[in-house]
Order: sequence, then structure tokens, then C-alpha cells
Amino acid sequence: MKLSLIVALVGAGWLAAQSPKPSNPLGDAPAVAEAGRLLYNRSCTSCHGPDGGEGARGPALDFAGRRYFRVSEAAIFDVVKNGIAGTAMPASGLPDTDVWGIVAFVRNIRATASDLVVPGDERNGMAVFTGVGGCSKCHMIRGQGGVLGPDLSSIGAQASLNRLRDSLTKQRAIPNGYRPVTVTTLKGEVFRGVARNSDAFSLQLLDESGKLRLFEMSELRSAVFAKESLMPYGFDKTLNKTQFQDLLAMLSRQTRTKVKPTLQGENEVGR
Amino acid sequence: MRLRMMLAGACVTVSLAAQVTDRQLHEANSANWLTYNGSYDSRRHSALNQVSVSTVDTLVAKWVFHVPNATALQTVPIVLDGVMYVTQPNEIYAIDARTGRQIWDYHRVPARQKGPNRGVAIWRDKVYFTTPDAFLVALNAASGNVVWETKLAEASDGYWSPAAPMIVNGKVIAGSAPGDHGLNGFLDAYDATTGERLWRFNPIPKPGEPGSETWAGESWKAGGGNTWLTGSYDPELNLLYWGIGNPAPDFNGDVRKGDNLYTESVVALDPDTGRLKWYFQFTPHDVMDWDAVEVPVLVDAMYEGKPRKLMAHADRNGFYYLLDRVTGKFLHGTPFVKQLNWASGLTAAGRPILVPGVEPSLLGTKVCPAAIGAANWMSPAYSPETGLFYVVAQEGCGIANKSTETFRPGGFQYRATGDVEVRDDSWKVYVRALDLTTGKLKWEQERVGSTGFGGGLLSTAGGLLFSGELNGEFVALEAKTGKALWHFYTGQRITASPITYSVNGKQFVTIAAGSDIMSFGLLK
Ligand code: HEC
Ligand code: HEC
Repeated sequence: MKLSLIVALVGAGWLAAQSPKPSNPLGDAPAVAEAGRLLYNRSCTSCHGPDGGEGARGPALDFAGRRYFRVSEAAIFDVVKNGIAGTAMPASGLPDTDVWGIVAFVRNIRATASDLVVPGDERNGMAVFTGVGGCSKCHMIRGQGGVLGPDLSSIGAQASLNRLRDSLTKQRAIPNGYRPVTVTTLKGEVFRGVARNSDAFSLQLLDESGKLRLFEMSELRSAVFAKESLMPYGFDKTLNKTQFQDLLAMLSRQTRTKVKPTLQGENEVGR
Repeated sequence: MRLRMMLAGACVTVSLAAQVTDRQLHEANSANWLTYNGSYDSRRHSALNQVSVSTVDTLVAKWVFHVPNATALQTVPIVLDGVMYVTQPNEIYAIDARTGRQIWDYHRVPARQKGPNRGVAIWRDKVYFTTPDAFLVALNAASGNVVWETKLAEASDGYWSPAAPMIVNGKVIAGSAPGDHGLNGFLDAYDATTGERLWRFNPIPKPGEPGSETWAGESWKAGGGNTWLTGSYDPELNLLYWGIGNPAPDFNGDVRKGDNLYTESVVALDPDTGRLKWYFQFTPHDVMDWDAVEVPVLVDAMYEGKPRKLMAHADRNGFYYLLDRVTGKFLHGTPFVKQLNWASGLTAAGRPILVPGVEPSLLGTKVCPAAIGAANWMSPAYSPETGLFYVVAQEGCGIANKSTETFRPGGFQYRATGDVEVRDDSWKVYVRALDLTTGKLKWEQERVGSTGFGGGLLSTAGGLLFSGELNGEFVALEAKTGKALWHFYTGQRITASPITYSVNGKQFVTIAAGSDIMSFGLLK
């Protein structure tokens, strides 16, 4: 199964301990995960959030959320069936088939987008990317496009489908290296772009034209950081349904490099 | 509406980004350091003179950039308009050259760990480097985005590529390693815009090609001859000069009788076609792993009363050579180390006169220089102001053995044994200043306490010669006399060559030491 492939990159010793063998008797059809999602939303959201998000009394279960130590199907099965002793996480008391359905769902939300079957027309998605979506002004895929935003050539192997969808639809926290900034030099020149790096003494600006401009703070009259990312959002509204789905499908298949997703907590000893 | 506003606000055109033009690459001595050896002629001489004999006593550390997980960096930083690019295998860091702050980093996945990596090349809006899995990767210089990557050779065969590529006429010139595994090397040219391969020069000729007669039997098939250091280029002659590495197996020549062309040679190629114009072989039928990849330095100077286009080369075999770089004709050669016992001199054509019996044997023979050589990857320098050629010279002998080991495909060692270095008191490392045309020693400065090469050299118009020592001392010598004027203990082993550049009128001197990039400038 796909997730075990990711795990394989992490290290053989760790892998052996976590038993990567696919063991879900229900298989990995999308319908199984979808049924699991409904079961989960019914049984678990008194603590965890809906669809695996963060809840009032339980952590988010999708992998951008927190550190996970249970990645294999067997480990997740064990937690859902038996709970985590000494914590608020209870044994579910559900029959095994239901537990397996939930396992399929949890694995699904932790997978990278490229691990899932995302319906949609990839070619049309690319046309949206370079055309009406305006994405390629800021993003590069396989050498084509702008540089202000991150390279998306491997985004399908890096981001979960949720993260991809959120990037396109919601305003999110600005990641390091992409804080929009407007600087005014002592001479009165104004430059806009993203601060690839900055501290109290210097600022490394990638300006809107894709040119690096490097300043010591003493050379600036002001550096005003914006609170919102340059990344537009609300594409679920500005694009039509097909365009949006095709774009999502195209992004999910960008896997130039199989990057090891940052499952926080991997290889760490203790918490 | 927010979306529309943002799109209008960011009309990004990559073509506006800082770019290196061909003209800049042809001009030496600018505020930038644009090629592995600072200029196409590889003199490593900079016109910057703010840091000089009279100001060097106020040279202080300006910043340190730590390269995570690095050891023994050999990267030569490239600097363009205040942005510095440094590498280690699989990784590039873009750094603000004034402050040392990181701008972007690139980590190649999956990482096959094979070192060292000696740096990037830069052209137009891209930087280029080669990798442990034998790829050439082109990245956007402003963002680090990968624009394209091209496979040079099969990594599973054992190939990789450590040298900084060179850009000539819109082509990326990239070479191969290693020579010690019986893998035949190559030197390639790729279209710098598309990554398409344009030509390949095979240093080991195939049967029927000129030079193939210098390989007995099938020995050419596992002949070696790799290209693991960056060469030089003469734009006027439009000739590319590249050093070729050792033949394989390294230490037993019995199975490859003949001169083994073009190993241990410098080749002059037409960069448009990759065609061989001339070659000169320093060590015919080498049995000591004396790769001739050491940087060829191009100088125009008077020789025997006439202005000549010259090439100076201090070879791993212990001899300093002066060639006519138009024709490849040997002009002059003389040892630059005292411990040299394998040849009694050079013939009028520049061929070594062998001392019988001084070669690897079953029980071991003392051969000087040792296999590691009298010179190696640490770059030499030439100052047009002093007329001196500066080289890091190692004095030392080894006990050389040979065996009958046979070739095994798949990237395994194919050396047929090696030499034992007795790094006792007799092992010494010097910075030596040679008269360009005669090779006569003008001065020498011992790297006291070093029993290994250390880093290379940088000459500046400030009358200084910068030198990085293996024990961690970074030293400024007076270029005229060799007197040490300044030193800074970096606390790490230095195995890289220094560079200099300037930003907003301030000169910096930079060297990779151990796992750090260290940059120095005047206090005020
Ligand atoms: C009473 C509240 C509560 C309920 C109900 C609950 N959980 Fe939890 N769950 C928690 C808490 C709290 C944790 C964190 C335990 C810890 O500190 O390790 C947790 C942890 C987990 C983990 C482990 C996360 C990791 O570290 O890998 C999984 C998986 C999980 N829950 C799944 C479920 C599922 C599926 C259900 C429904 C069948 C469910 N939980 C019901 C409170 C709850
Ligand atoms: C005005 C420039 C700009 C445009 C236009 C733009 N983006 Fe972005 N995008 C950014 C920046 C900057 C970031 C990084 C900061 C952030 O994530 O908020 C980003 C982040 C992203 C991410 C998150 C990457 C990650 O690692 O999680 C995705 C996915 C993305 N963009 C896709 C798109 C798509 C698809 C379009 C077109 C529909 C688009 N962007 C249009 C600038 C832009």
C-alpha cells in the first residue's frame, strides 16, 4: 500500500518495529474510507473534530496536525479498538469491521494527495493553472512558471489532500520564507515581495519581479510585513466546480520527487 | 475583490531577475566570483585591492554560515550581485553574501551520499550543479526551484560527479568520477537552457579511434580517465582545456600496456563540438594514480623573447609544466617538489625519463611523490603583478604495491592495490611561488604542522595570497615574499579554495572550513 512506501523512506529499523504490512481486510477502495469517515464522524467527534480535524478534547488526526507515533494500520487499529491507556482516548467498543473502516479513513486523511485517487482531468487542471487560475504567475511546475510562491512540482507527494484544498480555499497562516513585505529604502525606493528570510539586522527579499534584493535593516526606512499571504484563496468560489476539481487532481499528481512527508515525531525517542 | 487585486499586483516575469551574461563570464576580476576558479583563465587572481598588504591587519570575521551535516567541505562559493551559492553533495544554499543569512536551500531526494561537491556554475537566471547520483540539475537562481535535471550516467554503474560545472557559450560542461573503479570517464556539454546533451568527449578512445592503439587488448574497456575537476577556457582561441584522470587499474599497468591515452593528459577541445584539438600527456602509462586533473592556468606572457599564449600546470606527478596553449607544444618542465624519484627529468618533448624499478611492485617500492601526489584538487593561483605561479606542494613518499586484481562491474574499486604513506617528518606541505616561465622557486612558506594538502590559493591585487591550511589556519601571505601577514584559526580542517568578492564597495574574502563558510572583511 502507498503509505507503507512512505514509511519505507523513514528507516528500516523503525519500519520493522511498526509492521508496514497492509492488513485491512476491507481493502483500500475509496468507498471503504468514505464509510469509515461517516462512522468516525458519528463515533469520535465528541472529542476529535469532524473529518479528523482537531476537536475540543482530542487531537487532529490528519498528519499536518501533530506528532504521530502510530502510522501502520495495525497500530491505528489497536488504538481505536483498545484506546490509549492512561489518556482520555477510550476503547471504542465498535465491532472489528467498523474499526477497520475507521482505520481506512484515518490512513486516508494522513496520506499525501498523490496516495489517493483524486478524480479530475489533469490536463484541464494544468490549463487552469496556467490560464484562468493565474497560478503560474507565482508558482513553478517542472521549470515553468513564477518563483514568488513555492515550487509545486512535488506538491502531490508533500501535501495531504486536505492541505491542498485548504491552500486553495482558506486563508492560512503564512509559512516561513513567504511573509509578504513592503520595504522602503533610505533613498525612498519601494520594493514589494516576500521575505525569504529576515531578522533584526537584515532582510532577504524576493521581489514581485522575481529578483532577489538583499538589505541590511540600516539601509531601510521601513519594512512593513503584511498579515495575509500573497497566496490568493477562495478558488472554490472563483473557479467553477470542474475547474476546481481538475486543478486539485492535477496538483495531487505532481510528484517529481517523492519527498518524505514530515510526520512530526518520526524517529524521535519519547515525547 | 481580493483575488483579482493580488493577481494584478504580482506581474512576475522571471526574465527580470539578476542574470549572468556571457560577457560577465568573460570578464575576470569583477566584484563577483562567477566561476570555479574566478575566471576562465583560472588564475584565481582578483583585481580587488581594498584588503591589501597595508590593511590586512584589520581583516576580521564578518559572518559564518553553518552547512548542516557537512564535513570537509570542498565547495568554492559562487557570488553574483551579493548572492552566494555554496554546495555540499545533494545540497545548494543561497546566502546573502554580506550577512551570511540563508535565502533558499535545495536538498536533493533521494540522497545518495558521495562527496565532495565542489560548487555550482551560474548563467543567466540559473545555477547548475552535479550530484552523487550523476545528474546535472538546473535551478532558478532566485528561488532554488528546479528547472530541469538531466542524467549524466548510470549511478548504479558507479558513476557520480563532484566537479563544479563550467558554462561556455551557453553550454554546461560537466564531467565524471571516479577513475578508480574502472569506469571510463567522459566530458559532456549540455544546452544550458534545455538540458539537452550536445556532445560527449570520451577520454578513452574506442577501438579504431586515434589513441586506441595505446591500450593493449581489451584494457580500454575498464580504462578510467575521469574528469573530476573543473578546467579552463580561452574565449579567443575558443578552446576548452580539461585535465583527465588516471588509467585503471591505478597501480598495475601490466594489463594495459601502452601510453593509455588520454589519461593523465590535458585535452584541448572545441567547445562547440567536443572535438579534440590537441592533447599533452604528463604521465604516459601512469601506475601511480596521478590524475592530471589539476587546474590548467592560462597566462599570456613573454617566453623566449616572444609573447606567447601559455598554459601553466603543476601536476600531481611532481613536475611543473609550461605549454603553448595554441598547439599543446611542450615548452618547459621542472620538478616543483624535492622528493621526486620516479623520473630523472623530462625529454625535449616533455616525456618523463623513467628511473627503472621505481614503480609499484608486489612487495612494495618507495615512490615519490606518493599517489596522493605533489599537487591535487587545491587550486593554484597566478598573479600578473608578481609574475609568480603559486602552488600547494606536498613533499612525501609512499610504498607502492601492485596486485593482479581484476575488474568487477558495478562501481567497485579497481586499483590493483595502492601505496602506504608513511606520514613521518619527511611529509611536508608548502605554498610555493614559482617563476612562471622557468618554474624556479622564488619563495616557499611551509604549512607548519600540516601533513596533508589543505586548501587552495587566492591571489589579489592587494598584493596578498590567501591560503587555507589543513590544520584550520586561514592565512594571508605577502604575494611577493611569502611572508605571513595575517592569520585566523577557523577551528576546522580546511580542504577548499578561498574566493573574494565585493558588495556595495566592501571586499570580502571567503573560505569553506570544515562544515562552515566563513567570510572576512575589513573592520571599518
Ligand atoms: C473521550 C475523548 C475521545 C474519544 C471519544 C475518542 N478519542 Fe481518540 N484520542 C483522544 C485523546 C485525548 C487522544 C490523545 C491521547 C494521547 O495523549 O496520546 C486521542 C488519540 C487518538 C489517536 C492517536 C493519535 C496518535 O498519536 O497517533 C487516534 C488514532 C484516535 N484517537 C482515534 C480515535 C477514534 C477513531 C475515535 C472514535 C472511534 C476516537 N479517537 C475517540 C480522545 C478521544
Ligand atoms: C500572487 C502570487 C500567487 C498566486 C497567483 C498563487 N499563489 Fe499559491 N502561493 C503563493 C505563495 C506566496 C504561497 C506560499 C505562502 C502560503 O502558503 O500562503 C503559496 C502557496 C500555495 C500552496 C501551498 C503549498 C504548500 O506547500 O502547502 C499551494 C498548493 C498553492 N499556493 C497553489 C496555488 C494555485 C493552484 C494557484 C492558482 C489557482 C495559486 N497558488 C496562485 C503565491 C501565489
